[in-house]
Amino acid sequence: MKQDIHEYLAELEDIPGTRVFTAARARRGYWLNQFAMSLMKPENRERWKAGERQYLEDWPMTAEQKEAILARDYNRCLDLGGNVYFLAKVFSTDGLSFAEAVSTMTDMSFPEYRDMMLQGGRPPEGNRSIKGGY
Amino acid sequence: MARITAGVGSSHVPLLGVAVDQGKTGDDYFGPIFAGYEWTRQWESDTARPDVVILVYNDHASAFDMKVIPTFAIGCGERYKAADEGWGPRQVPDVEGHADLAWHIAQSLILDDFDMTIINEMDVDHGLTVPLSMMFGTPDKWPVKVVPLAVNVVTYPVPSGNRCWALGEAIARAVASFPEDLNVQIWGTGGMSHQLQGPRAGLLNREWDNRFLDALVGDSDAARHIPHIEYLRETGSEGIEMVMWLVMRGALGAKTRCLHRHYHIPCSNTAIGHIVLEPAE
Repeated sequence: MKQDIHEYLAELEDIPGTRVFTAARARRGYWLNQFAMSLMKPENRERWKAGERQYLEDWPMTAEQKEAILARDYNRCLDLGGNVYFLAKVFSTDGLSFAEAVSTMTDMSFPEYRDMMLQGGRPPEGNRSIKGGY
Repeated sequence: MARITAGVGSSHVPLLGVAVDQGKTGDDYFGPIFAGYEWTRQWESDTARPDVVILVYNDHASAFDMKVIPTFAIGCGERYKAADEGWGPRQVPDVEGHADLAWHIAQSLILDDFDMTIINEMDVDHGLTVPLSMMFGTPDKWPVKVVPLAVNVVTYPVPSGNRCWALGEAIARAVASFPEDLNVQIWGTGGMSHQLQGPRAGLLNREWDNRFLDALVGDSDAARHIPHIEYLRETGSEGIEMVMWLVMRGALGAKTRCLHRHYHIPCSNTAIGHIVLEPAE
């Protein structure tokens, strides 16, 4: 059955510590994500490594987005419309594993995060709904 | 006539590809994960021996960027190369397509009200090559032809579970009307519970994942009605990939039998799930 789009979108904002990649975020982060995508090419990765700030000059991103990328503040990047599969091009270029990069978005160090995963991961209890608190 | 003889569900975590490519599949960390695929590797090579795999997967910003976002896309090309995902392409064989079958499915689906995007050229990323490595190991040439079927599970709204299941049903009808005698499998990949972003990253849900695996076996179609918000709340933001397993399940008909099942936590950020199903009367 067809779901009301407004209710659907409102529910997606009710998950703690999560930015679902909605159309609104996709629009806001368009150039941030396309910049990240450019690092798929080896020649672009070299140019990026040689001068990050200069590389960003070619991209019509906001100043906030540029600073968030330069600072590798991935939560900020998500807030500004970044998507993790695109941002992955940046942390792969940095030589970070997916798990290490992901851990930087949590309140844990990488070893702490790794231990949490080995012990079964973050439990869903209390992490499902902001409003419901369950 | 072509027929769908089995369905396979599997996670497609990129780190599994790294483990295969670096020969680490037997170590303490990866050993228990790969052990759960040993049955399937034997079965695929000795018993099942498919000619073609319809491989339902999602592209992770490799072939598709933000310029074009197809909800359902089918690869109708002759061959596909492994994508460079930021650290150089995986050193795996090219993936050979089955253009005749793929075009037949594409045309049939469109006449069946599924308005597919058709892709003639693309690179394929870990979403497609990791399941091939898990099921076939490290051959010089993949033992099957592949029809890639890419689903958007990145930009919302992604297709509903119900629509994915119905697409599977339509794929089964399309395969059944292909005149050549072909042994076809359909694989649904991605999942299981995982979240790769934000402060909630690392969420896993063993109980929910196993209920989902249970729901794929037998004659229940309850899984097709799971709403997106349930996947997101219960299994993490990237757990939504499990809707792709429903394309596989839908293609197997009213009832299934489970041949093999495996579940392991963790692999990197992710819960590993794997199931082998066949259609049952």
